[in-house]
This record gives sequence, structure tokens and C-alpha cells, in this order.
Amino acid sequence: MPTLTIDNQTVIVAEGGSVLDAAIALGIVVPHYCYHPALGAVGACRQCAVTILEGSQKGLKMACLIPAEDDMQVSTCEEEAVAFRAQVGEWLMTNHPHDCPVCDEGGECQLQEMTIGAGHGIRRYRGNKRTYLNQDLGPFVAQEMNRCIQCYRCVRTYKDYCGGEDFGVMGSQQRVFFGRFKDGPLESDFSGNLIDFCPTGVFTDRTNRFRTRSWDLQQAPSICPHCSLGCSILPGGRYQELQRVRAGGNRLTNDSFICDRARFGSDWNNHPKRPREARISGEKVEFPYALELLEERLEKLVEEYGGETLRLLGSPRASFEANLLLKKLAEKYGAPAPYYDAHPRRAFAARMAASIPSGQLASLKQLRESDLILLVGVDPLAEAPVLALALRQAARAGARIVALDPRPLELPCDFEHHPLTQESLLRGLSAPEENELLESLRQQLETSQRPVLVGGGELLGGEGLRLLLHFSESCCGSHDCLIFPVLHGPNSFGGGILGATGDSNRNLIEDLENGNVRALICVETDPAIEHSEPGRMQLALSRLELLAVFDHLPTNTVATADIFLPTRTIYECAGTFINNEGRMQAFDPVLEPGIPIVVTGSGGHPPRQFETTPPGSAPRSAVHLLQWLLKDRNDLFGLRRQIIKELPCLRDLDRLAAGDNGRRIADCGDTLEESRTEIWAQEGELQVLPITARYGSDLYSRWSQSLTSRFEEPSVWIHPVEAAERGFVNGQKVVLRTVVGHFHLPLVFKAKMARGRLIVPCLPGTPLEVFTPGGLSLPCKIYSEVDNA
Amino acid sequence: MSIWRDIKGTIEPFWITLRNMFRPVVTVEYPEVRTELAPRYRGRLILTRDPDGQERCVACYLCSAACPVDCISMQATEAEDGRRYAAWFRINFSRCIFCGLCTEACPTMAIQVTGFFEMANRNPLETVWEKEELLVDHCGQEPDYNFYHHAGIGVAAARGENPGEDKPVDVKDLMP
Ligand code: SF4
Ligand code: SF4
Ligand code: SF4
Ligand code: SF4
Ligand code: FES
Repeated sequence: MPTLTIDNQTVIVAEGGSVLDAAIALGIVVPHYCYHPALGAVGACRQCAVTILEGSQKGLKMACLIPAEDDMQVSTCEEEAVAFRAQVGEWLMTNHPHDCPVCDEGGECQLQEMTIGAGHGIRRYRGNKRTYLNQDLGPFVAQEMNRCIQCYRCVRTYKDYCGGEDFGVMGSQQRVFFGRFKDGPLESDFSGNLIDFCPTGVFTDRTNRFRTRSWDLQQAPSICPHCSLGCSILPGGRYQELQRVRAGGNRLTNDSFICDRARFGSDWNNHPKRPREARISGEKVEFPYALELLEERLEKLVEEYGGETLRLLGSPRASFEANLLLKKLAEKYGAPAPYYDAHPRRAFAARMAASIPSGQLASLKQLRESDLILLVGVDPLAEAPVLALALRQAARAGARIVALDPRPLELPCDFEHHPLTQESLLRGLSAPEENELLESLRQQLETSQRPVLVGGGELLGGEGLRLLLHFSESCCGSHDCLIFPVLHGPNSFGGGILGATGDSNRNLIEDLENGNVRALICVETDPAIEHSEPGRMQLALSRLELLAVFDHLPTNTVATADIFLPTRTIYECAGTFINNEGRMQAFDPVLEPGIPIVVTGSGGHPPRQFETTPPGSAPRSAVHLLQWLLKDRNDLFGLRRQIIKELPCLRDLDRLAAGDNGRRIADCGDTLEESRTEIWAQEGELQVLPITARYGSDLYSRWSQSLTSRFEEPSVWIHPVEAAERGFVNGQKVVLRTVVGHFHLPLVFKAKMARGRLIVPCLPGTPLEVFTPGGLSLPCKIYSEVDNA
Repeated sequence: MSIWRDIKGTIEPFWITLRNMFRPVVTVEYPEVRTELAPRYRGRLILTRDPDGQERCVACYLCSAACPVDCISMQATEAEDGRRYAAWFRINFSRCIFCGLCTEACPTMAIQVTGFFEMANRNPLETVWEKEELLVDHCGQEPDYNFYHHAGIGVAAARGENPGEDKPVDVKDLMP
């Protein structure tokens, strides 16, 4: 690690670090644009000039391009370098439109800061300014090309890092342009990163256009709730409205990048239908009254019929603390241990993932550094988008990527795809030695240096993950073969830890149907949407004597609850999520809960008197509500200490701070050896597999209005050969009959999917929303619409 | 000793009063008579219009950031033609200290001080002024300035049509 001196201050930088890194570490401002820690240096902007006094290269140099050396002497204040930087700053500004007051970047703009930092203030150049025509880049990203300084960060972000193909640099000389070949929505699922990475206001967030200024935003480090990866994010809001989400920086997980689903799918927090008042049988009441009534009814019920008639349902959406308190509530009332996911197969997958020895769990960073990655039953862009980015970084560094999955996968990098059905995958894993493909992969895994197996909990289920774990052990005797399980929600893993001691074969719906259950408490979950059979679940729920729901989304179950208590969203309270790699990460509240001012003022002046509700009636966090029921007076920190006493594997929980890199759990115990019997359909029968769509399948995207433009059209996918055998043509209208109903859908040919299967994406707001991904494929029949008539 | 001081103390004020009674008067009989205000007097704020008659304020939030007592609030929004303006704009004059820092911060010359100061009121809510009340029909003290003729993003004039701008480049042009 080289030690060098900059402006008479000595600093040690990591191996391979540059002089600019060293200056940044010292807090010395050297203006720069094209360098970004996640993208590296290219020396395009010429802004970071410094003088090297001692070292192998002397004189005026670009700090970002000069590797730090031992005993180097650097000065940032030599006259020549200062003048050089001021000159470059002035050049870069010759064409700037001087429109900072109407630019959304203003106030957090690197160009503003670095121009002043470089010493340029007043425009002297009297020539004309170059102008451009802008492009319409779709609903997410707005472009204002006149602000561009040609630093090339956008291309390096969009094309090089994220693998987008429809964006690039065009033209020559004074005409260099960054955009698409022609107008149209950006196709990449990571397009929003342009907003964070462009150091100027060329790319800004269209969903948050002209709404706020960075200095007015309330911001706090948080964790993305849209999938199980738990990327770090920095949400910001104002006037009681969540307005935008930017990427946080956690180099162990998402490393400054997030997907568009996370960035543009946060307005569910402000949904006009979001339930904010307590209700008893649909009637609005004061929340303390509802809480007291709930306690009273629970006590009466337990007294009369015993605790076994009470069931509790936690959720992968709720914080770890809330799920743990639910467990305590079950103990208090003598109820059976809670369920942590309404979907039994997903719940078992989470339990299985949580039982993988923590040393065997890969992090996203390890994935980026891997040399052979085997994807088993996982569609990264749909289930964990930033995983696709990590795969691309591995591929760019030379890794091989092999995917076994029935879906027509797309990835932003080269990969080998074997479209196997879900059942043949599971069968193959259960006897890998008999499967030629797996056998050859096993040998390749053995010879590679840093292999990682990525397993999709949704397709494989817990049983599949268990088989995958065995497979990894069989093939990586001499070195570690890491596993990266992909689960359903931000706290699925946490639920898996808590559920490890329960009986995995218990099934909520069967319990409800056999009539022994009288009361159910659901915390931030809607079993009717989350369960694999929504219709059956709704019927089962209607038989309950008492259905209590704590939630913040306008779900049907909320509307039918006997007692409903509104909760705060993750942007409004603090807590912890445990992501799919067993990393505990804390989040902090961004906003106070309340009705946004755009709503109270209907877009105009807010009313003069703001308070329409009595103080204290704003929603409480689920943790607070459960603590009230438990008469637990700990604050969050106290609660975490208590958790550590009970679950020693979470021993670092009380050292978490929002915005840090999180801490991995220690080993929680032995690998779960139980298995679940699943009946895997035979090859040859035509079955339908419901899958997660890229947008809209998770509950938060479903209620996010900005994302609706990205929802796909409902359709059913088929392999062209399969279709030809049955005489179907592409685009034809068909009738699909399944146990959950029959659907009139267009047939879409997908050449890269598995044969013998139909695939339907689960799309909210369409008839296909009744499908829930995460189960086995279902028997079905398919007819052309004409035959059916 | 102290008796002399007491006598002096009793008489002196009368003497001062008497002496000042014959000096010229500096106050006026407000409200019947009004004094001449300095041209740069800082009274009630207005939101002015640009020479084309459009609202000048672009809702940039700089005045509200500059205001030391935080009495300005607003919400920016976008018009059809891309113009940024204030959906609502509110100044709480019962808090305003008439320091004029907002006018210094304003990049568009929209917010300006005036010589109007008679805002005393029994109802505090009536000292909260909304955009409709603040917006005037003239340019105030800056008759010529039009922000969008300097900021070249194609709002008041088409792209590349402002003074000092070249026509938009043809990206696909291959000429050297
Ligand atoms: S658009 Fe932004 S990131 Fe791209 S070159 Fe211009 S200033 Fe740099
Ligand atoms: S990959 Fe998942 S956790 Fe990460 S930003 Fe996207 S949705 Fe959020
Ligand atoms: S005059 Fe001063 S106190 Fe009044 S609004 Fe302007 S900045 Fe605020
Ligand atoms: S500083 Fe001027 S342009 Fe900006 S919001 Fe205030 S009045 Fe409007
Ligand atoms: S940051 Fe060094 S040249 Fe751009």
C-alpha cells in the first residue's frame, strides 16, 4: 500500500489507487468529472491536473491517471496546475446554457461545485454557444443536452457497466452527442443510473421533474424493499411525499447502482388510496381504540378457545424487528409459531437459504469477482435486477456464465442458456450424477477458482435449494463453492431465520380451512395476493372470526379486515432487513407519515390550517403496534440487544447503522436437513408456469404509478416448436384453462424458453394477477379461441 | 451635595424639552402626510413579470433558501411548453423581516421589494400572502431582463434561437 504526500499531508492508499484517490481520502478537493470510483478513470475531462514533484513521472499530470507510488510528493497548489484547472473549467463552461435555476441537478451538481472549485466564475468567452436538440427518452429520464461537458460518464455507465445497447455517443468535433440513435424510451432496466452518474444536469429524473431541490429534501439511508438483494438506497422526500430514490453506496452489495424498479417505483408510499386510518369492520375509528379493541378480543378469544386458535402471519416486507415481535406475541398468547411468508413454498425456500452456513453464502461483491457462475432457476432481471449487473461485471472480467432456467432469459452479458423445465431442473439436481449436463458443469466448477452457484428460491423452492447445496458440496471439495440464493422479499431471509425452529410442513391455508383457527393477525402482508391460490385463500379468510391486519398498502385484505391498523412504510420508520446473502442492514426513517401536501392542497396552495387530524393519530410502525400489544417499552436499540440475546447468530445487530455496509450474520446452526415432498410433473404434459414479471409482480411495484408504463401486455409464452406441433401461430388469441381460472390471451413465441411449458408473467391490474409466482407449474389446457367457441 | 444634583435633575429635562420645542420638526402627520421613501426602501415583496408578460418566477427555491427566517414556501411545476413556474408560492409576512436577501438570491429578478409597508393586521393569517396576491402586472425595477433569453434551453425562444447561440448541431453530419 503506497504512502505518499500531497500538499505536505501524508496518506496511505490501497494498492492500485491513484493520486486522485489519495487526495479524496485526504479531503483535498481536486476538481474532476470523468473519474468515478465505480467506473474508474479515463482521463477524458482533463480537469484533475496536479503537479507531481517527486515520483517516476514528474510535472503537470492528471491525478486520476497517475498511480500512487511510495514516497511520491504531490502538490495541488502549484501555480501552473491551478491555472490549468481554471482554464479547463472555463472551457467546459463555454457552451453551458446558464440555466441552473431551472435545472433539477442544481444544488447537488458536480459541475457547479467543481467549476467553482477550479476557480472559474465569470464567463469571458464571447463566441456563440453550441446547442443541441434533445431526445425523448421515455417516462423515466429527461435529457437536456445543452448542459453536457463531454465527460463520457453516461456511456461508460449505460453501455459499459450496465450493458445497455440502445445508447451511445455519436457525432464528431463540436457535435458529440450522448443519446439514442433516435427518440424512444431507454430499454435498459438500469437506465436511471444515468441520473446519478452524469455529473451535470443532462440526465434528470423525469418522475420527479421540477418538484424539489436537493437542499430541501429530507433524506436518510435506507434499503430497497423491492427484492431480496437489499441494495442500499438514498430516498428523499418533502412535504410528506416520497419524491425520489437514488442509489446509496455499499461496495459489498450494489456498489452505487440500483435498478429502475427501485428508483422509479417508490411512489406507492404516496398512493392516494393508501389506508392511513384505523378501521373496525370498515368504519374509521381512532387508532388507540382499535388497538385496545384488538387486545380485548384477542384476550377473550384465547381465554375461551385457547391460543391454538390464533395464527400470526409475518411477512418478508416487514422489518426483522416486527417479525420477531410477532413471534413473541405468539408466545404470549400461546399461539403456534408465526408464518413468515403466506406462500408456503417461498417460506420454505427462505428457511432453507437461512440454514446455509454463512461462510458459504456469496455476496454480490464476491459474485462480481467470480470466474464461473451457474444460475439455477433464476431470472435476474425479474427477481433481483442488480444481480444481472453483478453478472455483467463478472463477465467483463472474463467469467463464464451458465444459466439453467425454463424462461427465455435475457442478461446484459454473454451467457450460455440451457432451457430446462422446472421439473427437469429439480430432478437433475436430485440426481446430478445421472444428468450429463450437470455432471459436466460439476467438473467445470471443480476446476474453476471462485465459482458461485446462484439459486432462485422461487423456481427451485426450499427443496431445490437444498439439492443445490448438496450439489455444491459435491463439486467443490478442494475449495469453497459459494451459494447465492435469490429469495422473494427484502426480509425473506430474516423470516427464514425466525422460522427455522417451526414445523415446515404447516400450511396456513390448510389450518384455516380445517376450521380450527378463529383469529389471524397479518403484519404487512396480504395473504390473498401472496398465497399461491388467491381465491381459495380469500374463502378461507372469510371463515375467520377475527381478521386483524396491520399494513400500509391498499390491498383487498385490508378492506375486508375486522380490525385494521395502518402502519408506517419503510420510509417512515427505522428497522432492519436481512438480505438474501444474510446481511443485516438497517434503514432510517426519511419522512414523517402524513398526507402529502399535494393532496391536502389539491396541487395548489396548501390549506392554511394543516392539522386535520388530532395529534398522535398518524400511523405507527408495526414494531410500535406490536410492542404496545406486548407491553414492551424498549426502544429500537434495546429491542436489538434483546434479539441478540435470543439469537446469538445476529450478534452484530446492535452495531448496525443505516448507511453502513451492513453486517453478515454468523452461522445460525446446522444445515436444515428436513425436506419437503414435492410432486414434480412428468415431462411431456403441457403445464403452465407463472413467473415474476420484470415490473409489477412485487407488491410495491404493483402500487407504484410511475412504473405502470413499463408493465408488459398480458400474454402467454410458448416455444415455437411446441406451438407448431399444436398448430398455433405467433400472436394468435388463445384460451388458457387452469385451476385458477381461464384466460383469453395472445400467444407469444419465445424461442429461448423450455419446451413443454407455457409461461405467464404475473401482471397486476390484468386478469393474470391471480397467478402467484413461486409455486410449481400448474396443469393447463390451451385452445385457440375459435375452437373454444 | 446631593440636593444640588436632585435640583439639576428636576430642571434639566424641562430645559431639554423647552429647547427642542423650537427646533424644526422631523416626523410627519402619518397617515395624513406621507414621507418620501428612499428609492431602495425594502417593503413588501412582489413577484414581477418579464417584458413578454410571462411570470418571471421559475420556482427555483433560491429565495426560500436564502430567507433567514424561512418565510417563503412554494411548489415548482412544469407548464406545457417546458417553462418551470410556481404552482403555489406563499410568503408569510408576519415572519418576514424585510431584509431583501430573497431579492438578492433571485436569478430571474422575479421577487422584488417595493415601498409598500402598510401590512398591519389583526388577523395573522391575513399576513400570509399567496401567489395571486404577490404577482403583479409589470416588471418592477428591472424592465428589460428575461431569464429565458439567457438560459438557452428553448423555452421563450426555440432551441438555438437566443442571442449568442448557434443553431442546434446536426449530430449525424459528417462534415469536418
Ligand atoms: S451527458 Fe453527462 S455524463 Fe454524458 S458526457 Fe455529458 S456531462 Fe458527461
Ligand atoms: S436489485 Fe432488488 S434490491 Fe436492488 S435496487 Fe433492484 S429491486 Fe432493489
Ligand atoms: S425580505 Fe428577508 S425575511 Fe422577508 S422574505 Fe425576503 S429573505 Fe425572507
Ligand atoms: S428566487 Fe426568484 S425565481 Fe427563484 S423561486 Fe424565488 S422568486 Fe422565483
Ligand atoms: S477526472 Fe481526471 S481527467 Fe477527468
